[in-house]
Amino acid sequence: MSNTRRLFSGIITLSALQLVAVGTAHAIPAFSRTYKVECTTCHTIAPELNEYGEVFLKNSYVYVGKAKSSEKKEPVVAVSAAAKKPAAGSSNGVAVKIRGEGDADQLNKLKAGAMVAGGAGQVAVVTSPDTAAVIDSPGDLKPEGLVLAGIPELLPISFTGTVNYAFGDQRNINNGNEFDYSARSFKLHAAGNFREKVGFFATYVAYSEQPQSGTYNTSEMPSNNKTDINELFLQMRNILDTPLNLKIGRMQPKLGLWKTNNKLSVTNNYLPYSYTVGQESVFKIEQPQDVIELNTIFARRLFVAGGIVNRKGQNTKEGYGHISYKIGGVDYLGNETDIDLSKEESILDFLTVTVGSYAYYGENGSSVSGTPRNSYERVGVDTELQYKIFRLRLLGGWGSDSNVDPTQSSYTPKVISKTGTIDGEFTLRTNLIAAVRFDYLQELGDLPALFTNKYVRRYVGTVAYAPLENVKLSSEFKYEITQDVINRIGTVGATFSF
Amino acid sequence: MKKYVLLVVLIGLSVYSVAEARIKVIGRGAKMNFNADDIPEIHKPAFELMQIKCIKCHTMERTVISVQTGVAPITGQPFNKQAVKAYGIKMLRKPNSDMNKKEIRDVVVLLNYLLDENAK
Repeated sequence: MSNTRRLFSGIITLSALQLVAVGTAHAIPAFSRTYKVECTTCHTIAPELNEYGEVFLKNSYVYVGKAKSSEKKEPVVAVSAAAKKPAAGSSNGVAVKIRGEGDADQLNKLKAGAMVAGGAGQVAVVTSPDTAAVIDSPGDLKPEGLVLAGIPELLPISFTGTVNYAFGDQRNINNGNEFDYSARSFKLHAAGNFREKVGFFATYVAYSEQPQSGTYNTSEMPSNNKTDINELFLQMRNILDTPLNLKIGRMQPKLGLWKTNNKLSVTNNYLPYSYTVGQESVFKIEQPQDVIELNTIFARRLFVAGGIVNRKGQNTKEGYGHISYKIGGVDYLGNETDIDLSKEESILDFLTVTVGSYAYYGENGSSVSGTPRNSYERVGVDTELQYKIFRLRLLGGWGSDSNVDPTQSSYTPKVISKTGTIDGEFTLRTNLIAAVRFDYLQELGDLPALFTNKYVRRYVGTVAYAPLENVKLSSEFKYEITQDVINRIGTVGATFSF
Repeated sequence: MKKYVLLVVLIGLSVYSVAEARIKVIGRGAKMNFNADDIPEIHKPAFELMQIKCIKCHTMERTVISVQTGVAPITGQPFNKQAVKAYGIKMLRKPNSDMNKKEIRDVVVLLNYLLDENAK
C-alpha cells in the first residue's frame, strides 16, 4: 500500500469514525415507556429536541404542567352512571379508609405524592359511555413498596445503535473515492426521575470506533469516545425548597444552547462547541466533565446555570456560567404563550427567539504541579429563531489560550480563536427534515514560527427521514476546506433506539 | 288514560334530554369518534376539519377520551377549556400542522362545546 493511499485511507477512516462520535445523548425510549408518549413529543427527528423536549430536559426529566397531587382530589370519573357511582365506604369514589394505628394522613400524602411522581399515564379513562374500562393506570397498580421507595416500576433502560457508511474524495490526493462501512456504535442509557425530586441520566458507551492518536478539528474524535461512562449525573430539584436545582456528576457543562447531538446532522458537532486549539491543549466546551452545577428557571423564560469543573489530573478548578432567555413559544415550564385566537394571524404568533450566552475559564498543564500551564477562556453567544417550518441557529464564539503546548518549557504562542456557525433547518414533513450549515474556525497565534495559523470552512447539507419515530435515516454531504486539505465526504447512516 | 300518556311523554322527554346532554360516541379503539349526527350544523365544518387534520398525528380516540374524562390520556394533564386553548396554540405553531388561525379557532370552539355537552 503506497503512502498516499495509506494517508487517504486514514483520512477516510477518521471521517467515518467521527460519524459515530459518541455525543451526549438525551433521546431515549425509556422516557417513552415511562410516560407512554411518542418520541415526537420531545423530538423533531430524534435525537434533535423540539421545544417541549427542552422543557423536559430543563426540568430534570419531569413532566411539568400536569396536575399535582393536591389538585387531584377529584378522581377521574367515568361518564357512565355505573362508573359515576362512588365506591362503598368512600366519600369520593377512590378514597380508602385506613383503620388501626399509624399516621393515616401522612401515608396518604406519601402515596399521593408518589403516585403523581410515578408517571403521567396513571389515569383511569372510559372508552365509551357504557363501557367503563381502565386503559392505563400504572400508578394505581404500582406496588406500595415501589411507590413509597420512589423507584421506577419500569427499569428505565434503553439502547441506541448507529451504523454509518462513509465515502470520501480528496482532490489533492490522486486516488478516487474510498469507502468505509465500519462506522458504528452502541450505547446504553438509563434516565428518569425519583418522585419528581431527583432526576438522573446515564449513558454508557458499550462499543464505539476507537480514536486514532492526535487531534484534528476536521476529523476529531471526542476524548470520551471509547467504552466508558459518557454521562452519569443526578439533578436535585428545588433544593431546600428554593428554585435552585443542584446537578452533580459527569455531564456536559451547560454552556451553549444545545447539547452535542441536539441537531439534525450526524457528523461533526457545531465548531464553536467542538474545536480544539493545538495538539496538546485539547479542551473543548462540549466535553462531558466532572461537574457541580447550580441552575434555575426565573420568571418562566430565563434560564441561568453556573458550575465548577474538576478536570482529572489537575488540581485547579474551572468555572463556567450560562444565561439564556426565550421569547415566544412554550416557556421553560411548559406553558404555551398566550395567543389571541380571535385576532388575525401575525408573524409573532409563530416566531420564537432564544438567545443564550456563556463563558468558561480553565487552566491545565501536562501534570498537576508542572509548569508552564495553559489558561484558556471561551465566550460565546447562541441564537435560535423558529418560524413555522423554519429553524435558524446562529452561533458565535471567541477563545483565548495562553499556552497551547504546556509540555514545552520554552515560551509557546498565545492563540486567539474565532468560531461561528449558521445552521438552517426546514421541516418538509413531520418525519422529513433538511438542513444546511456553515461552520467557521480561525486560530491565530502570536508567534507564526511556532504555531501555524489554522482555519476551517465547512459546508454541510443533511436530509433526515424517520420512517418510524425511533429510526432515523440520514444522508449528508460535507465540503470542508482547511489550511492543508479540501475534504469531500458523504455519509449515509441509520440510528435506531429501543 | 291521560295520566298514562302524560307519564309516557314525561319519561320520553326525560330520556331524550339525558341522551342529548352528551354527544354520543361510536366505534372502539382507533375507530372511536364522536357521532357526527349529534354535532350541530354550526360545528360540523370544524368537526370535519378536525377529522382530517388531527388524525395526521393521533387518533380521534385520544380526543374523545380527553373530552369524556377531562384528562389528556397521554400526558395526564387536565383537559379543560384552558388546556384546549393551549393545545390549539400548540397545534397552530406546530410545523406542518397545516392549520391556520381560523381553523384552530373553530376547532377550539368545537372542543369547548363538546366539553360543555359532556359536563351536562
